[in-house]
Amino acid sequence: MAGEEDNTTTRNCNCQPADTQNITSVVDEVLKETGREKDKVILILQEVQKRLNYLPSEALKHICRVTDITPGQISGVSTFYSQFRHIPAGKHTIKICAGTACHVKGSQLISEAFRRVLKIDDSQNTSPDNLFSIEEVACLGCCTLAPVVQIDEKTYGHVRPTQTDEIIQDFLQSQGKTLNTTDKNQPDIIDAEVRIGLGSCCVAGGSKEILSRLIEIKEIYDLNIRLKPVGCVGVCNQTPLLEIVRDQNNHVRYTNVKKDQVEEILLKHIKPRSLNKRMKYRINDLADTFLSDDMLNSPVNLSSDLREKYLNNFTKNQIRQATVNSGILSPASLDEYLLLDGFRALKKSLFFSKPAEIIDIILRSGLRGRGGAGFLTGRKWDISSGTSGNVKYVVCNGDEGDPGAFMDRMLLESFPFRIIEGMLIAGYSTGASEGIFYIRAEYPLAVTRVRNAIQLCYEKGFLGKNILNSGFTFNARIFEGAGAFVCGEETALIASLEGKRGTPHLRPPYPAVKGFFGNPTLVNNVETLALVPWIINNGVEAFSSVGTEKSKGTKVFALAGKISKGGLIEVPMGITIREIIEEIGDGVADGRSFKAVQIGGPSGGCIPATMSDTPIDYEELTKMGAMMGSGGLVVLDDTDCMVDMAKYFLTFTHKQSCGKCTFCRIGTKHMLDMLTRLSEGKAELSEIDDLERLCQYVKDGSLCGLGKTAPNPVITGLRYFREEYEAHAKGYCPAKKCRELIKYSISDKCTGCTKCYQECPVNAIGFKPYERHEIDQQLCTKCDNCRVVCPVNAVEIVNQNDKDQN
Amino acid sequence: MTKIRINNIEVEAGNDQTILDAALMAGVSIPTLCHKDGVEHYSSCMVCMVKDNKKNNYIPSCTALAQEDMDIDASGEEVISIRKKAIELLLSEHRAECEAQCRVVCPGGYNIPLMNRLLAAGDIEKAMMLSFSEVKSGEIKCLTCAGYCENACRRKKIDAPVSIRNIKIFVAQHSDKYTEGKLLNSGDSKELSDSLNTENHPYNKKQFSSRIGRLETSEQNEWLKECTGDRTRYRTITDFKTAGDEAANCMRCDCRAAADCRLRELAGEFSVKDPKGKVVNSPVVKKINHRTGLIFENAKCIKCGLCVRVCEDRTDEPALCFINRGFISIISEPLTEEFVNILATQTDICIDVCPTGALSRFK
Repeated sequence: MAGEEDNTTTRNCNCQPADTQNITSVVDEVLKETGREKDKVILILQEVQKRLNYLPSEALKHICRVTDITPGQISGVSTFYSQFRHIPAGKHTIKICAGTACHVKGSQLISEAFRRVLKIDDSQNTSPDNLFSIEEVACLGCCTLAPVVQIDEKTYGHVRPTQTDEIIQDFLQSQGKTLNTTDKNQPDIIDAEVRIGLGSCCVAGGSKEILSRLIEIKEIYDLNIRLKPVGCVGVCNQTPLLEIVRDQNNHVRYTNVKKDQVEEILLKHIKPRSLNKRMKYRINDLADTFLSDDMLNSPVNLSSDLREKYLNNFTKNQIRQATVNSGILSPASLDEYLLLDGFRALKKSLFFSKPAEIIDIILRSGLRGRGGAGFLTGRKWDISSGTSGNVKYVVCNGDEGDPGAFMDRMLLESFPFRIIEGMLIAGYSTGASEGIFYIRAEYPLAVTRVRNAIQLCYEKGFLGKNILNSGFTFNARIFEGAGAFVCGEETALIASLEGKRGTPHLRPPYPAVKGFFGNPTLVNNVETLALVPWIINNGVEAFSSVGTEKSKGTKVFALAGKISKGGLIEVPMGITIREIIEEIGDGVADGRSFKAVQIGGPSGGCIPATMSDTPIDYEELTKMGAMMGSGGLVVLDDTDCMVDMAKYFLTFTHKQSCGKCTFCRIGTKHMLDMLTRLSEGKAELSEIDDLERLCQYVKDGSLCGLGKTAPNPVITGLRYFREEYEAHAKGYCPAKKCRELIKYSISDKCTGCTKCYQECPVNAIGFKPYERHEIDQQLCTKCDNCRVVCPVNAVEIVNQNDKDQN
Repeated sequence: MTKIRINNIEVEAGNDQTILDAALMAGVSIPTLCHKDGVEHYSSCMVCMVKDNKKNNYIPSCTALAQEDMDIDASGEEVISIRKKAIELLLSEHRAECEAQCRVVCPGGYNIPLMNRLLAAGDIEKAMMLSFSEVKSGEIKCLTCAGYCENACRRKKIDAPVSIRNIKIFVAQHSDKYTEGKLLNSGDSKELSDSLNTENHPYNKKQFSSRIGRLETSEQNEWLKECTGDRTRYRTITDFKTAGDEAANCMRCDCRAAADCRLRELAGEFSVKDPKGKVVNSPVVKKINHRTGLIFENAKCIKCGLCVRVCEDRTDEPALCFINRGFISIISEPLTEEFVNILATQTDICIDVCPTGALSRFK
């Protein structure tokens, strides 16, 4: 990881700054669109950066000259949020995901590989030819495809460090080529509907290419079908996912579809209308059968039972409430949403209930905030409805920044109308008339889908004045977060809405009473709002019959890490961790042994395998020292080191700390330093006690949830895996993960094939064909390439100190 | 009105009154660093922590509102412990010294930096007055001393130590004759009278002092900005001019706020042990505005934000602001401005409000 970064220092990056006149005219143009008010500063900066690639000093000066924004404000804001840069970036940005799931799958090695290949050293971020800039980002939200890399708009999943060249070439080649993903011909009467998932992960897995091929085949054979892109199905490990629906009872699903299988799959189920086309296909098919072996492995030849088995296992224990109609609904269609029960809850609320009645329903249902804190939603609505103010707001908190969590992204991308409906009901019951969708800038697809949905709602009268002639007026807009995890905290979120640095403040006063510009503001998580329509439609009993006594309903989790079948799942509260891992996720991947599961991201904690009968429940998890959190569930196996995990999470929270309060700002730095020294074998046993004491101080003394929960990974690590910490103090890493404490060595299984020599990026292995190869420890960077490419598993990781205690 | 208990004392707090203010009414004083009456509270330093006995958690009293039936502990063991830890954490990045090393190691506790400043400024009388108060006639310790001062002088690592011993001997030998019979009047030098009048004269080793170890090269270059002379070096001191010229090479290792620093005061009050291995969040810099006389030393800044809150930031007169986020956040001039162009009329307000020596008058 490059050292502490200060994005204001000018570095020698050879980039050409734009000229002054151009800059001022761009700024003037932007201000015409955005307005000049002080609270618009983040939007203004985002738009300027979009056009100029970065924020030149001249642009900042001009903004201060022609608006009321002050130099202090613009400097403070533009340096607080990660999205903004003050030096130009390369033409293309390579975002390397450093989220939890990607981290356990080796994102650090990928980062190093890219830097090597592009010749970018640690003190810089842009390649010498200015073509590429590298950014290590907190989480791209495609965890089941870990490790993930995103270059501009293109996402690559399951990346290996040896593939960097390939990926760069693929990206450069794809530039200028546009995929046709719009099917112009949508007949009314069809033989079949073909659905393909197009969430962000699906796209990363290649679903857009599949859709493009579907359109091609449809045209070639003139098939009478409708091609329908649907939202996320949650089965992320099996994408691209195709579903062919002939009528009510005739559903066929294909998983991991490859581009060259599309033709055969489609034509197995759908006959071309004309005889000519049918003949054409038969001939092609026969030819292929004789000429290639590929077809033998074609999924078409598998019985549907086998094909469906994984899918069924994955979905059978799930209960869909927030994700109802998953895989069926097209996120872009308001008409379809209406057809499938959409906005029925809203109508029920507007025409058949009083606001107080709705709040009562939500209260009695037992719904608790799904953002992590688990506060009773009905009570929050109650407080909010009791306040008076000029204007009241409802904010949908989509600032999901947990590395390893992407549930909210999925919900926003796949069910935008449902979230809008939830927000409208919240607004109606609490007397609010303005809604704001706060969505991370790192989720461009979610922003687009919600924006389109909002527009459609305005057009059809579901937003705006006098909605559906009920007399209720509600307006909604989007605010794109500029990159600060701390803005998930409601007071920090509101500060950023007001154009300030995202620092939290003590509560009371609570935002529900005094929030956005002093007005009562109800802040609810995406998932919480997504559950509201279901509760109104199905009633209190139906919702509260699912779950445990204190934790009602379902929870969406992002199951990732060392699990065989990861994905997005919605499960009833009360399900145990074991059930999730073994029954839904099909166990730990690669035959390794289950060590622990990290719940709740950097605020959560780890639950060891020995406690996997713990039910998913707010209080039960807190008792174990962990936290429900927003829903990230990362599975760890025996090759994962608990000290390394704690160090990883502290690196994140330390970087995301807003810096306001002493304990978080300085405390997380000290904790990180101690963990780093521990992972390098440089810490004494007594320092573990110091670390433990510091953790308690940071927990007690921090101002907000970020600081208060930052020590959790360490505290739970010490509680359940103290021996592992102590081992590091003695100089060895039981999981063989911490680089300073391990070394790579080649055993006598070596056949001398020289593959390791070829793949070693630093020439640490000499060329010795047919002889046992050796690694020069002085040069070795432990990049893991040799171990991965060795065909006979001759490369081993051993502890430096030869104290191999298993 | 709201009824709360602080340290088992019943207090009637006003609406929207903070626990800090309510406590004051009950005669309970709570220490603060980042808080100042009349300025919007910010709850950054966490030195004002109190314990909410009902919720069993800790809250910053400068911002926490008094709520009905609250039971607050403002002076128990746990509360003291957490306040102490806050101070310790702030000190752990306080890469600065209260007193200069030369003075600390001097067996006589002489105020060497002050002597150097007076000489460099040409205030010969005051320099002699200082010396007279420290060295009694016939007892010039320097003559037989091994010269620990010069060994500790930070200038030693750059080129050569300031010729402290010879300067002191010269001044001591001459002040005896000069001030004989004259009234001792420190005149308009506040620094001198402060020095003469405190219990810290000669140097009091018991008072808390922040200390650091070796300077990095980059730090050395910043500290050199304090030297007022033309960098000519003199080993032998023949007259007051040579003394002044050599003294101008002093890097002013002692802090301008040594007698006026809230952090030092609280560290002493809470008997905090000065942490080792201090790491600053960003490169150590000393920014000097020679026009307004403002000097900012980021190594002494505790990020309390008072200077930001107390000044009005205007496009025609920019003020200080926060830059960056988290551990690496710093106080700085805005990105679009130069340090020499900010706070034309508000410099004094900033300097007065700063609780440490981070913002001071350069003179």
